[in-house]
Amino acid sequence: MEEAAAHKRYVEVLLVEDNPADARLAKEVFRDVNSSVRLHFASDGLIAMAFLKREGIYADAPRPDLILLDLNMPKMDGRAVLARIKEDDDLKIIPTVVLSSSEADADVLISYRLRANCYLRKPAQWDEFDHIIRCINAFWLSKIRLPRQLEVPA
Amino acid sequence: MSRAMTTQWQTNRNITAAFAAALAILIVVGGFSYRNILVSDESSKWVEHTRDTLKNIQMLRLSMETLSSGLRGYIISGREAYLDNYKAAKQGIEPLRLALLDLTADNPAQQSRVAALGGLIVERLERTERVIVLRRNGGMDAAVAGVRDERGEAITNEFQAIVLAMQKEEYRLLALRKAESISDVTRTKIILIAGTLLGLLVTCVAGWSVLHGSAQRQAAELATLESEERYRRLIDGVQDHAIYMLGPAGEIRSWNPGAKQITGCTWEEVAGQNFSRFFPPDDIKSGRPQEILRLAAENGLYEDQGVRVRKDGTRFLIRSTITASRTAAGELSGFNAISRDLSGTKESEAKYRGLMEAAPDAMVVVNQGGEIVLLNVQAEKQFDYRRDELLGQKVTNIIPEGFAERLIADDLRSEKDALAQQIGTGIELIALRKDKSEFPIEIMLSPLESAEGTLVTAAIRNISVRKEAEKFLAQMEGKYRGLLEAAPDAMVVVNQAGEIVLLNIQAEKQFGYRRNELLGQKVKNIIPEGFAERLVADGLRSKADALAQQIGTGIELHGRRKDGSEFPIELMLSPLASDNGILVTSAIRDITKRKKAEVHLMQKMDELNRSNEELGQFAYIASHDLQEPLRMVASYTQLLARRYKGKLDSDADEFIAFAVDGASRMQRLIQDLLLYSRVQTKGMELRETSSEEAFERALQNLRGSIQESGAVVTHEALPNVQADEMQLAQLFQNLVGNAIKYQGSGIPKIHVSAKMNGGNKWMFSVKDNGIGIDAQYFDKIFGMFQRLHKREEFAGTGIGLAICKKIVERHGGNIAVESQPGHGSTFSFALEDSQSTT
Amino acid sequence: MPIEVLLVEDSTGDVRLTQEAFLEENPTVHINVAVDGVEAVAFLQRQGKHADAPRPDLILLDLNLPKMDGREVLALIKEDDSLKLIPTVILTTSDAEADIVKSYQLQANCYLTKPVQLEDFEVLVKSINDFWLKQVKLPQQLQF
Repeated sequence: MEEAAAHKRYVEVLLVEDNPADARLAKEVFRDVNSSVRLHFASDGLIAMAFLKREGIYADAPRPDLILLDLNMPKMDGRAVLARIKEDDDLKIIPTVVLSSSEADADVLISYRLRANCYLRKPAQWDEFDHIIRCINAFWLSKIRLPRQLEVPA
Repeated sequence: MSRAMTTQWQTNRNITAAFAAALAILIVVGGFSYRNILVSDESSKWVEHTRDTLKNIQMLRLSMETLSSGLRGYIISGREAYLDNYKAAKQGIEPLRLALLDLTADNPAQQSRVAALGGLIVERLERTERVIVLRRNGGMDAAVAGVRDERGEAITNEFQAIVLAMQKEEYRLLALRKAESISDVTRTKIILIAGTLLGLLVTCVAGWSVLHGSAQRQAAELATLESEERYRRLIDGVQDHAIYMLGPAGEIRSWNPGAKQITGCTWEEVAGQNFSRFFPPDDIKSGRPQEILRLAAENGLYEDQGVRVRKDGTRFLIRSTITASRTAAGELSGFNAISRDLSGTKESEAKYRGLMEAAPDAMVVVNQGGEIVLLNVQAEKQFDYRRDELLGQKVTNIIPEGFAERLIADDLRSEKDALAQQIGTGIELIALRKDKSEFPIEIMLSPLESAEGTLVTAAIRNISVRKEAEKFLAQMEGKYRGLLEAAPDAMVVVNQAGEIVLLNIQAEKQFGYRRNELLGQKVKNIIPEGFAERLVADGLRSKADALAQQIGTGIELHGRRKDGSEFPIELMLSPLASDNGILVTSAIRDITKRKKAEVHLMQKMDELNRSNEELGQFAYIASHDLQEPLRMVASYTQLLARRYKGKLDSDADEFIAFAVDGASRMQRLIQDLLLYSRVQTKGMELRETSSEEAFERALQNLRGSIQESGAVVTHEALPNVQADEMQLAQLFQNLVGNAIKYQGSGIPKIHVSAKMNGGNKWMFSVKDNGIGIDAQYFDKIFGMFQRLHKREEFAGTGIGLAICKKIVERHGGNIAVESQPGHGSTFSFALEDSQSTT
Repeated sequence: MPIEVLLVEDSTGDVRLTQEAFLEENPTVHINVAVDGVEAVAFLQRQGKHADAPRPDLILLDLNLPKMDGREVLALIKEDDSLKLIPTVILTTSDAEADIVKSYQLQANCYLTKPVQLEDFEVLVKSINDFWLKQVKLPQQLQF
């Protein structure tokens, strides 16, 4: 007896990534692996914050169910975004996965310090990148229970 | 008095003269001023003109010079550029000259000078042109030679002379104008000043005249006033005599308080009118008033005794003395009259008679013997007798009972007392007409002193109409009272003061009072709050409005019984018109039972809600908590199966297999139970939903089994309905899933459609080509955990359709099936259209 | 070096299941068990008999625990400057929305519901292993 599928129609994923190639690749992978994912892009931290805060042209932006966050970005980098997200009472419950090419352990530490839900190293090879997106999908969008956006109890 | 008048007249004349003089002066001054303005206007124009002319002359001179000077440069240098100025001057000089001609058009001397200038200009131009040619061709020397001659200089000198003369002339004219203008202004100034002074003088004279005349007049007036005053006081002192003056034709010229007293008219009302207005119509017709005056005029004095008519129409007798007054010349100037009202005398009878006749009611005067001594025309009419038929008759003939007796003295009281007792009160009796027919009357008695002793005047009023009305009203009241009594609710009628004026037996019972205890009581005593206030007018609304607001609506209040206990009531008000104003009828219903029922209902609903919740919780907790141990059992038996399969004996394998199977089934059952209970507990509000989208979602979830079975699912356009989207998807999923599952050997073909039914409902049908269902099971299949097949044949717990049924019922519809074994099934259910607003 | 996982779970049956699943999936994983919240905290803070306890690379935390409830443990972990770096995965039977949201609010790294079926459970453990212990970069065990 199968229960009716996901409560929401779409899973909204915000990808904060300044490299358009990576962004594009992510889009393709998600499309392939999970048709109910709606991918949104922010190419820098400022745009990301505007999107999350639903400011200006993002007034009608949906609330993401998952945030994939690159660290090194122009204007406002990922660490600042992460900090801001996890400080905001409303935004902090959105699982934020850091996806960064940085090899530095310090970055890993900072991210966890700033309460990132997890840290993934962005692979250089595109097939590995493909794989990691799939893993993210497999774990975060299939197994994980994400907090439902509509009814948030006090 | 006339002296004052004369003076007054004189003064008036003086003032008028003064005004006339002042006016004349003003006009003259105004005229001069205006003229001056015109004049000064003109002179300023002339000044302008002269200036223009002078300017022009100057420019002309300059141009002339330029003709020469411009040439010089050229002669010396031979450069054409030096000729520019020359050329410009040459172009402009003639226009200038013509303009000058225009400017001096009115002056012949100037004109001839301008003409002369023209000639000179022409000459010069000729010469200069010649020189230019010389220069061009012959060089400087040639040109110089051409210039050197006497004529050139002469031209210049002549030109200058003429210009000078013209200028002089212009200046002269200017000076002349100025002088003229000044003299004009001066003249006007003189006139203005003179005029003003004159005006002032006139005003002073007039003023003095007025004052002088005024003083004189005042003195005269004062004297007159004093004598008038004395005279008036005399006249006013007389209250009971009318003293008045008439004109020769009888027009009323004065009035005094006595006259007002006697006739009832104020001075304002009679001033100017003829005194004949106070005469009876007959006398007026016969010319009596004029006769009186004539006689008075003839004899100098005339005494008259006669009837007059007051303002209110009543007649009275007067004796008047009229004297004629004449001028010094012996002309009749009017009459003086003194009159006395004779009512106090024996002529009062006549007066009284007059009064009676005029009365609207029948009046009968009866003597102590009970005989009618006087009656009026109304009495004649009422009783249908002629006057002479009644006079002298016993009053008992027309009022058989109740009147005469009242007047009789008996041992208990004297006549006077007897009479005194009846005075004023309206007594209802029966009267007899001439034809012996009876009619109800009300009589009011009053005494009348006369020479023959005390008489009794009876005013008799026919009250048949009133009696009818009263009877009718009594009937109505009786009916109403009957209604009131018959009403099942307590009825209380309240007046505007909030007092109970009427109540019925129910009211007595409900409130535990006796009728008398409530009548006249304030309604507040039985309905402490909410009633009396509602009837009160306040600043915002009148009584009528206040009442109107309450009519019809049922108001819930509290009533208080005699024993002090309170109970809930519902009040319905309605107005009742009566002689005593608007009354309020209130129907009072004891709603204790109703209130109890309401409370009970609320309680029950609360209970129901709670129990529902508990049930939901129970179902959830049960399945949830059951799942835990079950999970252990299932998991470990599976682990056992995995790890030890084949490692123990075959029995163990079998046992384990059964255990695993049992556990799994139980898990599934519990999950299904959970699903079933969630239809209610996790159900969302019904709202506009696209059933098409819900259907797509279901298909998406089933894509696995659709692919596997190769099922063909088709559908028609599906409408928007009021639904819980998730549950609708679940519904479709179950039905289509079943259709795919319960297939024979062929390819499952499923078709879903919807048809509008009855305007606001959609009938959905899911048709398949499966194995079909026997009619006897049509109801059973929708039961919980009901299966028609063995587990080996078809998987499933049998909850699918039960869930479908629950979902459809939650949406306010019913689910049904039509089927034949081997021929597929059609499941149908109804959902509300999203547009319907029920 | 073995991967240290702290499993905070009161049901011994579940503990064993988890151990079996990890054994199957990744034998290098060492499962440390705390049966209630108090023990979990003691383990993490290296108190008492846990003085030599290793620092876990991953915490699997059930919510419904005796003595100290899982949410409290979570809050405690995430308030501690050094403990908060350890990824804490909620692994519980509840799928109640309230629990999910609360957990994320308390900064749980992620929330997983224990599946009913054994097979599904094993798959879940596999994915935990795949993701958290293979893909994810865990913070180094440096003392701060």
